[in-house]
Amino acid sequence: MLLLGKIGLGFLGTAVVAGAVVSSEGFIHVNVHEKQTNGTHISLVVPAMIVPVTLKFVPNHYLAEGGRDVRRYLPVIDAAISGLADCPDGPLVDVTDADEHATVVKSGGSIVVDVDDPDETVHVSVPLHATQSAIDEIASAGGPI
Amino acid sequence: MKTILPVLAILCMGTVALAAPAERYLHVKVDDPVGREHVRVNIPLSLAEKVIPAINQGQLRDGKVELGNFHANGVDLKMLFDAVKSSPDGEFVTVQEPDTDVRVAKSNGKMIVHVIDKEGKEKVDVTIPWDVAQALASADGRQLNVLAAIQALEKAGDTTLVTVTDNSQTVRVWIDSRNTSD
Repeated sequence: MLLLGKIGLGFLGTAVVAGAVVSSEGFIHVNVHEKQTNGTHISLVVPAMIVPVTLKFVPNHYLAEGGRDVRRYLPVIDAAISGLADCPDGPLVDVTDADEHATVVKSGGSIVVDVDDPDETVHVSVPLHATQSAIDEIASAGGPI
Repeated sequence: MKTILPVLAILCMGTVALAAPAERYLHVKVDDPVGREHVRVNIPLSLAEKVIPAINQGQLRDGKVELGNFHANGVDLKMLFDAVKSSPDGEFVTVQEPDTDVRVAKSNGKMIVHVIDKEGKEKVDVTIPWDVAQALASADGRQLNVLAAIQALEKAGDTTLVTVTDNSQTVRVWIDSRNTSD
């Protein structure tokens, strides 16, 4: 009985550590709601760590062209992500017109984009750290950096 | 207890004194009541300071903008700015044409440019703290030192830099320590 308890505790500990590792880079939230009747409603919450890890398994030739394009702008992207990570939370962009409203906000280490138009509402939240890791991964697919 | 309180008070004051300075923001606000369009952009100056040197595209390189057809004709802009900085406040340039009025002045440590386009019914007011204007002109040759200007803006007080008003739109660009435009 004591052995079973120890095994159970071992599994629980492993699960907690694995959960902590997986969620260490935060979560990507994607929420799309089409406003028309029978419209699609997608809600996705994915551990951000999965993206760069998944990209490691994508064959290089799929990412090579994108990687070459990204590498041209890598210094700017790196500077922007690092600058955004260091600056305080707050609204960055807010655009309203007759029937659309879009915002870009930095919130708790993530960039949050919300769009509300007559057809749909979209909410995307991406942790900056995961974005950096994913972009580095894509850039490295174009050859050594 | 009596001895702990003053120590805590000194610690608190020390923490406040050592706290990082508040982030400065460059705000852009565009309102078009006719088209019912409103744009608000809030850029932390620390972000701009990091991103601008990383851009090496077109005329913007190493934080400096190349001025295509600008010719100083041998005039040392830095010396010119130094001379004007030490001169008393006043109006330096006034141009009045049938369709345009232009006025350049120095007032309270700021360079002020007013342009009125009578035909387009457009009014532009630019107010640049003198230190920012000097930083902008600090690059050699036909360049504007945008990075130095941003660094100077961080030290400048809250101020409206640009307002543009025409028939349908108003644009305002300003800096302060608030992270929102309203």
